[in-house]
Amino acid sequence: MTKNSKLPAGSKLERKGITRRRFLTVLGGGAAVLAVGAVLGGPTIVREARLQINKAFLTGSLPPGEMPKDPFVWFEISADNAATLYIPKVEMGQGIHTTLAQIAADELELDWKTVTVRQANTVRGFNPAILFTFGSTSVTSLYHPIREIAATMREMLRIEAASQLNKPVDSLTARNSTITTDDDSSQALTYGTVIASKQGEWVIPKETAPLKPAPEFRYIGQSVERVDLLDKVTGRAKYGFDMRAEGMVYGAVARPPRYGAILKSATAGDAAAQPGVVQVVISEGFAGIVATSRRAASAALDHLELVWEGGTTINQADIVDMLSLPKQGGTLIQREGNVDSATGTRVESTYFTPMAVHAQLEPQAALADVKVDSAVVYTSTQAPGLSSERIAKAIKMDAANVQVNAAYIGGGFGRKTGTDAAVEAAILSKAVGQPVMVGWTREEEMQQGYRRPPSANYLWATISDEGNITAIHHEMASGDVLFNPQVGGGGFLEVLLGTDPLAAYGGLIHYSLPNIRGIYHKMEIPVPTAYWRGLGSFPNTFAIESFMDELAQTIGTDPFDLRLKYKPDGDLGRRYELVLNALREASEWDTPPIEGHARGMATCYDRGTVVGLVTDVSVTDAEIQVHQAWCAVDPGLIINPNGAAAQVEGSIVMGLSSTLIEEQIIENGMATSRNFNTYPLLRLRQTPRINVIPINSGDEPVGGLGEPVIGAVPAAVANAVFALTGNRLRKLPLKITN
Amino acid sequence: MDLLINNQSYSVEADPGEPLLWVLRDNLGLTGTKYGCGLGICGSCTVHLDGIPTRSCVITLKDVEGRAITTIEGLAEIDAEGNEVLHPVQQAFIEEQVPQCSWCMSGQMMTAAAFISENPTPTEVELVDAMNNNYCRCGCYARIKVAVARAAEIAQERDA
Repeated sequence: MTKNSKLPAGSKLERKGITRRRFLTVLGGGAAVLAVGAVLGGPTIVREARLQINKAFLTGSLPPGEMPKDPFVWFEISADNAATLYIPKVEMGQGIHTTLAQIAADELELDWKTVTVRQANTVRGFNPAILFTFGSTSVTSLYHPIREIAATMREMLRIEAASQLNKPVDSLTARNSTITTDDDSSQALTYGTVIASKQGEWVIPKETAPLKPAPEFRYIGQSVERVDLLDKVTGRAKYGFDMRAEGMVYGAVARPPRYGAILKSATAGDAAAQPGVVQVVISEGFAGIVATSRRAASAALDHLELVWEGGTTINQADIVDMLSLPKQGGTLIQREGNVDSATGTRVESTYFTPMAVHAQLEPQAALADVKVDSAVVYTSTQAPGLSSERIAKAIKMDAANVQVNAAYIGGGFGRKTGTDAAVEAAILSKAVGQPVMVGWTREEEMQQGYRRPPSANYLWATISDEGNITAIHHEMASGDVLFNPQVGGGGFLEVLLGTDPLAAYGGLIHYSLPNIRGIYHKMEIPVPTAYWRGLGSFPNTFAIESFMDELAQTIGTDPFDLRLKYKPDGDLGRRYELVLNALREASEWDTPPIEGHARGMATCYDRGTVVGLVTDVSVTDAEIQVHQAWCAVDPGLIINPNGAAAQVEGSIVMGLSSTLIEEQIIENGMATSRNFNTYPLLRLRQTPRINVIPINSGDEPVGGLGEPVIGAVPAAVANAVFALTGNRLRKLPLKITN
Repeated sequence: MDLLINNQSYSVEADPGEPLLWVLRDNLGLTGTKYGCGLGICGSCTVHLDGIPTRSCVITLKDVEGRAITTIEGLAEIDAEGNEVLHPVQQAFIEEQVPQCSWCMSGQMMTAAAFISENPTPTEVELVDAMNNNYCRCGCYARIKVAVARAAEIAQERDA
């Protein structure tokens, strides 16, 4: 029920509110439909954006794109009472269309049955920067804006209904897409009726619409069913790879034999004469084939005459050498006290995390239809705005004329921030004047895409005679995530920072210790590396949390007790304690595991979310099997508990696959694995029973859920293997040798 | 070449050596069957050939002529009133909120549907064996296991 629900002045919600009356826009008002969107702009927003930019560099999350100017969220209700919510985030399985719709429907008091969710695109009034779906930030960044827009729209409907019914606004209640009066149930008006009867223009009210207090939430906090699943289980859902158009032909592009090699010269050879070939397209540094089928296009590539020049001939051993630690120099990223002044027994260890691919099951794909002065592109992308910019540059067109439609994504994990397939399809479509589909093969995806960078961590600590940790020194060496020149590069920012902030992500030690030093070594590894689920959190948390386990063992204390003793200061420490205590109880940590098993634990703090993970492990013939996992997770308020659990489960499975199996090797300048026969993934039989312990530590969402759990996985397993076998594994994937 | 897909006949002009997957997707627009690896490893492209789960990326057009092909688009039934009735596997996958990105799910569900038709009351071990060769990168495995068992129950309930 929403009536007279006011927020106390100066409350957290009010202060965090970023939309104001003057930033809201009515679009398409009138008798047929009421549509309200929000425009980001104005002084409050600039401050918030700057804060975010600064925070981005301090915490290593992605810097935002340009300041949005256009409406970014759009809700429509039509005269037939149907509500359409255009969601400005891309659905890649994380359930974001459902979650954001829940937030809107709650505040707008919609009958859930009237709700249709649609994907926003780059031209339908939405700013491409907001569409960028990354970094587990969708809920935390849009929770307040969506609620404020929805609340405003609800208030507009109440005010209009009051006028139509000739009643005071305060006597009207909005619920289930209907306005009712306190004293006369026969006078109920549906939203659609109110909109149909509206005379004149809609006006956005002067007063900020009140937000519902948490106890009145109806959809927020509920495991609402996913809105996209019926289309998905029936095969009707359209992904980038599924897009089709009249007259569509297929494109394939020549690939370098070594990373960094440049196409020095290309001629068509006898490619044009091959069956099915429509056109050979050669331009500077680019050679592609357009044909009537995928196979024909791919087969004709072999008939091109290509000269590749330069590139790397690096081998895996060279990469491992480059990452050797400790080393001189580096960039200081954390300093508490003075580690060199600390005394005590010294413990040190080095850890290694290899390259790994995303292996999202839908490779990069796009359908482009380029006309003389405009282009329409359908693609699986987490970054419609970036796609639009890069396509525009490649085909020399104003980005405003390049419409990018984000299709459902068949697995993202960071890989669908890549824009290559969309750019290639656009180049080829421009050349042939027909719609062109480019869908990468698995081999292209594994070899020619980007991958998680390889990295190493070196830590030492000193322990006093009393068993206190007096200092920790942490050095990281990693290939780039944000700044790899093969994937876009960095420019000025790169020089300024001296780190790759996304590879360094998760490298800060959050435990409350008197002396901490963190040093980052930025390594130029000539292999395309970039965003992979969790960014630096995966390798860095593996190292830090394994090392904490080593320290607990050295000191002779329980791993939970050690972490509680050094829990972070302030509110974060309170949340660590909540998570650790709940996890300890749920996993029955203090009772012995069953015969032949052992448990290990790790924590992770990532994108505002506190995670604690326990795994139960056995080892048979050197094979590690994880039987059960318990994960306590605190992102603040959880919007959809079942969806949240799915993200936790998925992160654990993907994390285990990387922990136990995955490794990509480079030989002679190219990845050796090309498909799942040489790069297998975790299977159902290897999947543990997963217990999710949700901790709602606050009254609003403060953390993401798509990535934070994955960082805790490798150390939780490695620590269990140590507890069971005494074998301390410091290199991923974890292999027991002897 | 004439193909029988989801109880409908289609006439296709394509290279007899073309993998069935691409004929379904590109020639016929039946894009519910997904490409994942092209080697028959990941299972995303699984369809039924005369009821038997088959990797459509490694079987060619000439091998499927005259056989009954079922794809995800043909898994649900249409009742007398023209309403779509989901297959027990589809219903269970929604009930258990299994899919995340769902790219692999057509293959998972086609594998599961053939399995419970063959083995209506599976043990957990049998179920895991049957579903173990389909990859899910989003990591929905635990839910897949629950949902396939649930699908077998739904099928039994409907038969009762």
